[in-house]
Amino acid sequence: MQALQFKQAVIRALHDAQLQTALDRGTTRGVNHRLAAMSATTDAAALRHQARLARERALNQLPALLEQLERNVLANGGHVLWARDGDELNRLVLELCQKHAVRRVVKGKSMVTEESELNHALAQAGIEVVESDLGEYIIQLAGERPSHIIAPMLHKTKEATAELLHRKLGMPLTDRPEEMVRFVRGVMRTKYLEADMGISGVNFAIAETGTIATVENEGNNRLSTSAPRVHVAVMGIEKVIATWEDYAILVQLLARSATGQQLSVYNNLMTGPRRPDEPDGPDHFYLIILDNGRGRIYQTEYAESLACIRCGACLNACPVYQNIGGHAYGWVYPGPIGSIITPLLRGLTQAPSLPFASSLCGACQSACPVEIAIPDMLLKLRRDLVQSAGNASLGWRLAMLLWRLGMTSPLLYRLGAALAGALTRLLAGRSGTIRQLPPPLNGWTYSRDFPAFSKGTFRERYRRRAQHAALRSHDHEPATSQRTRP
Amino acid sequence: MSLPHHNARAREEILSRLRRASPPFPSTTADSKPSLVVTRASPDEDWVQRFITEAERARAMVHRVSNDEEGRAVLRELLTRLGARRAITWDMAHIPLAGVDAVLEELGIERVQGDNVTVATADVGITGVDWALATTGTLVLHAGPGKPRMASLLPPYHLAILRAGRILPRLEDYFALQRAADLRPLRESSNVTLITGSSATSDIEQQPVRGAHGPLELHIVLLTP
Ligand code: SF4
Repeated sequence: MQALQFKQAVIRALHDAQLQTALDRGTTRGVNHRLAAMSATTDAAALRHQARLARERALNQLPALLEQLERNVLANGGHVLWARDGDELNRLVLELCQKHAVRRVVKGKSMVTEESELNHALAQAGIEVVESDLGEYIIQLAGERPSHIIAPMLHKTKEATAELLHRKLGMPLTDRPEEMVRFVRGVMRTKYLEADMGISGVNFAIAETGTIATVENEGNNRLSTSAPRVHVAVMGIEKVIATWEDYAILVQLLARSATGQQLSVYNNLMTGPRRPDEPDGPDHFYLIILDNGRGRIYQTEYAESLACIRCGACLNACPVYQNIGGHAYGWVYPGPIGSIITPLLRGLTQAPSLPFASSLCGACQSACPVEIAIPDMLLKLRRDLVQSAGNASLGWRLAMLLWRLGMTSPLLYRLGAALAGALTRLLAGRSGTIRQLPPPLNGWTYSRDFPAFSKGTFRERYRRRAQHAALRSHDHEPATSQRTRP
Repeated sequence: MSLPHHNARAREEILSRLRRASPPFPSTTADSKPSLVVTRASPDEDWVQRFITEAERARAMVHRVSNDEEGRAVLRELLTRLGARRAITWDMAHIPLAGVDAVLEELGIERVQGDNVTVATADVGITGVDWALATTGTLVLHAGPGKPRMASLLPPYHLAILRAGRILPRLEDYFALQRAADLRPLRESSNVTLITGSSATSDIEQQPVRGAHGPLELHIVLLTP
């Protein structure tokens, strides 16, 4: 997405009253749920570090773990296919549909199939595909895209949802979420039973037994992977982990960070197709492993972004996401982690605005269960963008030169500060605020005033304080004066 | 299955690129294992009580009974109250309460099995429980012969029958047990499900609503001798 498009999308989002209400309600609840759950955890900081180490170990051994996973899936009677990009993924799924004479597909939540726009490819081939996750289903009905990694319809209020269900499916209007959920439940029942193939995502793939694990609350994923005769699971290469001990820690942190639960309602562990003596489950199991740009990231200093477990906590915590929602980010992955992986997966020039869509406040990193250094990577991406654009404009370089001179010379700095202070006070006059800064700074005052700088500079104040403190410390024992901080 | 030719190439391309890169976290070694537990417990914890507290917190309904006779009475009462007509059940050998089939017969409840469409007519599912986890209030169900997945999934009500001896403290302890058995149970079953509470969704404005696609209610009959 180009810079201008991003700006327009942001402005649209900020002026969308329905979206603002939905974001307010949704992200606040998301943040509160996580904080409550983490505070009930024995040793949250140390645990996050262990989770982080589990992800680091897995990424260190990535190619070996993928091969081990493949071996074990085969041993369990399943099949493994590999896709270099989204088109190849879609082609493979279509081939499987053909092979198994599939006419109807029911899908559990999967972000990677959003990357490849699989639904579109299936529909074009005349195959009916229904999203089974409640939020995804409503998004599909609306012809929209998910706006949050785990809460796809976070951008919709309940009123808008009722409206949509009424218009598309004739549901009697209601403002009670319970009634809407009950209604969709009824509609979806027959879809599960009629489907020939179920497609699911993968939250973790456990290499040592060839098991894929999904995490959900609704039961739609269990139904999609149990009722149809063919199950196709799709995962990015980074989803593989080594052991069940790693799984135990990661899955519990995922639930806490995503929804504030100790464990999600259903953690579904699938190891191959149904065995001959089992009464139900799919007859065929396929695992498709997708690269789609991840292997490229793996070779760079951004490999850490592959440690993400897609909990969505950084989205809820981000002041930018809280205000613009997911769609403004322009692709599958929104929020802070999206601002990193979207440019990395699609190419920097495709999303040059995203690394700048952050105040670098660090809320994302403190929310992240696997301690991903999101602000750090955003900065590095900004650097890459400047470098890839070749030389910056002359004016920009001149400004930077002046900046460097000023910042490295105490004398010039003091002079500059005094000058700037005097200038703002002059512009502000008696009111103390400037309604409009002169160009090129007038963008700043587009929707707010600029306060004049105060008379005393920070350095002067600091010096005075230090003098006071020195005087006072003569009256105290040194030991007590050091304990003034709470 | 032998890979189709084009797919073998994709596989090789993806893997060889990864093999060429050096490990991204060189200071992290392969052998450090998680050593902490995720959920709090006091040293003199009563695990049965803890299980009940946590399961109820996750909105499961726990019915504690002290002998089989009481267990059957609770089951009879539940089935009557829920108005059950048809049930999908695990084989009686896998349900740790004798006489469940007699209760069903007595109440005129038909046992259904077979294809999805038939099974979907059941209004109650009755299962045993392989393991339960106290600190999270979780049930662990292994699919297997005589243990259909659908019994805990498709009907609007899921009745799970659990003996207190099957309660472990934590998820970590469950996997330690599997490890001791060489992970065989995890390998042999095509599906292991950890169930914590009844089906729910928070998709509409992040407000929890019970009974999304799975059971509306989860009842646990807990036998504590
Ligand atoms: S970057 Fe961290 S907080 Fe954000 S989705 Fe990934 S794991 Fe969650």
